[in-house]
Amino acid sequence: MTLVAALLAAVTALLALDGAGPASLFRHAYLVPVVVAALRFGALGGTIAAAAAVLLSAPFVLPEIERSGLTSEASEGLMTFAVLALVGVLSGALRTRAGRHRRRYEILVAIQRTLADAAALDVALVRVRTALVPRLRMDDLALVARDGDRLVVAGGDRVAPGSLVARVLDEGAAAFVGDAGGGCRSRRAFATPLVSGGRAIGVLAVERKGEIAAEERAALEALGAHVGLALENARLASRQRQFAAELAEKISVARRELEELDRAKSAFVAIASHELRTPLTALQGFSELLALRRLPPEEVSRLAGVMRRESKRLGRIVSDLLDLSRIERGLEPALCRVPLAVEPTIAATVDVLRQGTATHPIAIECEPSLPKVAADPDALERVLTNLISNAIKYSPIGSVVRVKARALGGAVAIEVADSGRGIPAEALSRIFEPYYRVPDAVDAARGTGIGLTVVKALVEAHGGAVRVDSAPALGTRVTVVLPASQGA
Amino acid sequence: MWALDQPCAPRADRLVADTPLALLATLALGVATTGTLVALAVLPPSAVHVAGVTAGHGALLATALAWAHVHSASGVVVVGLLGLAALASGLGGLGALAYLGPALWIAWLAGRGRLTGLGLGGPVPLRGALTGALVGAFLACHLLVSVSRTLGVHVRVDRLSEVLAAVAYDLGANVLAAECFFRGALFTRAQRRWPAATAAALSTAAYVLRYLVDPLLPKSSELVVGAVFYLVLLGAINCWLLWWSQSLVPGLLSALVFFAAYRTLGSG
Repeated sequence: MTLVAALLAAVTALLALDGAGPASLFRHAYLVPVVVAALRFGALGGTIAAAAAVLLSAPFVLPEIERSGLTSEASEGLMTFAVLALVGVLSGALRTRAGRHRRRYEILVAIQRTLADAAALDVALVRVRTALVPRLRMDDLALVARDGDRLVVAGGDRVAPGSLVARVLDEGAAAFVGDAGGGCRSRRAFATPLVSGGRAIGVLAVERKGEIAAEERAALEALGAHVGLALENARLASRQRQFAAELAEKISVARRELEELDRAKSAFVAIASHELRTPLTALQGFSELLALRRLPPEEVSRLAGVMRRESKRLGRIVSDLLDLSRIERGLEPALCRVPLAVEPTIAATVDVLRQGTATHPIAIECEPSLPKVAADPDALERVLTNLISNAIKYSPIGSVVRVKARALGGAVAIEVADSGRGIPAEALSRIFEPYYRVPDAVDAARGTGIGLTVVKALVEAHGGAVRVDSAPALGTRVTVVLPASQGA
Repeated sequence: MWALDQPCAPRADRLVADTPLALLATLALGVATTGTLVALAVLPPSAVHVAGVTAGHGALLATALAWAHVHSASGVVVVGLLGLAALASGLGGLGALAYLGPALWIAWLAGRGRLTGLGLGGPVPLRGALTGALVGAFLACHLLVSVSRTLGVHVRVDRLSEVLAAVAYDLGANVLAAECFFRGALFTRAQRRWPAATAAALSTAAYVLRYLVDPLLPKSSELVVGAVFYLVLLGAINCWLLWWSQSLVPGLLSALVFFAAYRTLGSG
């Protein structure tokens, strides 16, 4: 500025010393400070410098006009006024426009760099705002973006209903307010939508105590579109990374589950082989004994009883395996449902089990006049056998296993309760999974880990439900609810 | 941030809202009555000058105060003080010092923080004040050089008392009223509706028009052109000074310096 003022003063001094009036060749030297001011300060600087040059040269031109009218010298002087004004304004305007274009490109590059890193939407907005504030030369700037149902705001706390930003978010069109407070220099506010895919995904709002010219507003609208697109790209990239991470996590979990299942199946094969081998060994041994030796009738009868029990056990295991196979294929167990009285079924099952073990007293408590259930007799027997066997296996010798039956609305509830070790809470949700065995029960008793799975499948195939209530050290109660037969 | 926090309601008030129409009508009636009485030789001819100064500058100042939402009594007081000053200045001698009355009244109001809407009352920006004084001095020098080379008028130092009386008039009436109304009130209001350049153009056009219709302005074409030239420059620059510094003081200083130089000019 000092240089421009000094140049103007120097040219004026040269004009005065020259004494050639308005046609002095030195008048062209005014172009130097005018162009310098235009290139340095833009349109405003060029205009002011041109006006100052005209003002300073006027005392050399105007007296000539007053003395001699519009002579050729005076016309040259007037032409100089016009040239100075034109050069100052035009070169300043061009300089200003070039500066704006350069700044716009710098802003776009800065935004792209800012959003290149992986970041959550709120962090990305803050970064973009930080990049924009010094470059846009605004007094205040806010960025708002939709994130699902909520609004993420950078540069403020919230979006008040009815505010300029809320209006732009609703209407999706830019809005300008010329008087947003302020005194002698009005505060202007401008908000433009951040556009992506033809819809407003947010708002860029700026405020300045001073002008926000139409050209600048148009540039801000274009910037809004760029920021919207960049934010959307960043959001998509971030979502992609998130999906990839989630997918990797799911694959890892699935692999762990598969490994666990594989281990469980291996364990199951070992256990099942053992479970199958035990009755087979008994059958083989006792049948060889019967075939090779001549035994007294009482002994033959005893051995036949043992062989009968073992073959039944073998049959039960094979049935469970077949049912599990169907379950794993997504099929329901094959049933032949008939109206069935619950109490005799319980009594028969308990009777068979009493013959097999004398270690646990089994108490039966059935309400009188229980309705019949629509059930497959064989399936119900297997359900009861599984539950009562489990109760016997996992409760201390001598403790009572209770089997109760009662009417429950249009159903019959059968409870099998023991006073055994109970099931830990964390294992309760898994006891119906195939091959799963409660860790501390593995050493306590033999088992394949498929009994309760089959029980659940059989009961649900009947349209019933199974519930387990257990407290460690107090015992377990399994409740099976079966719908009553329609004709009961 | 306003755009986030405040409700965005459409503008309801008009540009000329809050204009004290009753007071302006009273002033117009007063001027007409005085003119009639002078024509009927009931009052001396100088009464027209007193009524004109009181009504002209009083209307501008009272409107500016009303637009700044100052109590209407303040407008009446300033009109009264202007009338007294016009009367006192007609008596000669130190009578022109009475023009300090309106200036002091405005200063008192500004000191109480009631004229912040006009750009008065806040801290005086020193850079702005210095710039205003320099701009005024530049225009004043340009005026002195130009008119001495063209119109044959030059600085007269032999009538200091007249110059001081005119400066007092500028301080308490002419410059004060023009800056308070055309810049402090009109420009400030207009730039809230339109771009600052448009507001400055409106304010400056009204400012120039006010002097063109002033019966005290000499009517020779050279002087009218010169007046328009300098008033356009002064008006536009003072708008910019107010917009830039957010204070009316720099504009007041530039106008006072310029008019002080203008008052020193004389022929012969």
